[in-house]
Amino acid sequence: MRTIRTAFAVAILAVLPTAQTGLFAESSGAKSSTPRDIWIVGRWSVQVDKVDPGAVSLDPAFAAAIYENLLDELAKTKRFKQVFRSGDRKATELHDLLILKTTVQQYTPGSETRRAVTTVSGATKLNVRSQLRTPQGQVVLERVINGNVRFFGGNLRATHNLARNVADTIRHSTLPQPAPAVAESED
Amino acid sequence: MIQRSARLPIRPGRVCMLSLVWYSATMFAQSPGGTGPAHVIHILGFQDIPNNAGGELSIQEDALQFRRSQGPAARISINSIQNVSLGALDKQVGGVPMAVGRAATPFGGGRVIGLFSHKKYDTLTVEYTDTNGGLHGAVFQLDKGQAQLIKNKLTKPVALETKNENN
Repeated sequence: MRTIRTAFAVAILAVLPTAQTGLFAESSGAKSSTPRDIWIVGRWSVQVDKVDPGAVSLDPAFAAAIYENLLDELAKTKRFKQVFRSGDRKATELHDLLILKTTVQQYTPGSETRRAVTTVSGATKLNVRSQLRTPQGQVVLERVINGNVRFFGGNLRATHNLARNVADTIRHSTLPQPAPAVAESED
Repeated sequence: MIQRSARLPIRPGRVCMLSLVWYSATMFAQSPGGTGPAHVIHILGFQDIPNNAGGELSIQEDALQFRRSQGPAARISINSIQNVSLGALDKQVGGVPMAVGRAATPFGGGRVIGLFSHKKYDTLTVEYTDTNGGLHGAVFQLDKGQAQLIKNKLTKPVALETKNENN
């Protein structure tokens, strides 16, 4: 009986790594099958709008940091042809432009000292509604995204984490193709 | 007699007092009442200056200038500034080495260190536009009390200043 049990345990141990390898192979395969080509064929440009604090009393440094970090992180994704700042005159002439609107829904100001002393409390939390809109106001993508700092780093690190999450979400979302440019001869 | 001659010529109490006076004098000398450039840390967003770079922020004629110890100064026109706002920041001092030291301290001693190793700062947020009309947001970290002085200088009406200069 003991021999059978040992053999059974050995069999399980032998099978387990193979199963895990298969699982990882499957997940990596799924990752590589993301439609990256779609991004290259028809790429939008994006204009990042000023962060709307909504009904939340947001520290102005946080609003500015979210805005600047969004510009950086969106440029890093390489999903967009160009990333424009709010009010940039060069963006007004583009037909394939999306506008990223960020509205803060929830903001919990944390404390770096409380994090250092207690570990479990003092987290800075940000919750925003991100919308990608066409200049005509049609919403192309809408997500609610969080950005927190729980253990290490200053409070403003939450803005960096938030911007990275927004950029990641947009990177992994499927956007419609931009409408083709209207030829001048048609006018 | 030998024991008496072995005594220190200056009493420790006096040394402490003198140190305290010297420290206070230095603090007052560095107080925000000065008109010189303020030592700041650029957190993000000002021209091409890297994040968390230290330097001096000053107002030169009609421009806000940030100068690092090395390299050229970055400046923006005061006229391009849309908004200036203040904030407060409470940070742990010592950076990564201190954080590692706190984590390595046994018996929860790191938490006690963390309780005392923090400092309050001011933040100065400057929103300005570039030549294309694009909005920028720059955040600076300053010693407590200094941000208000820079804000006062930036928001002072230029027209009034020139009028006073003419008179």
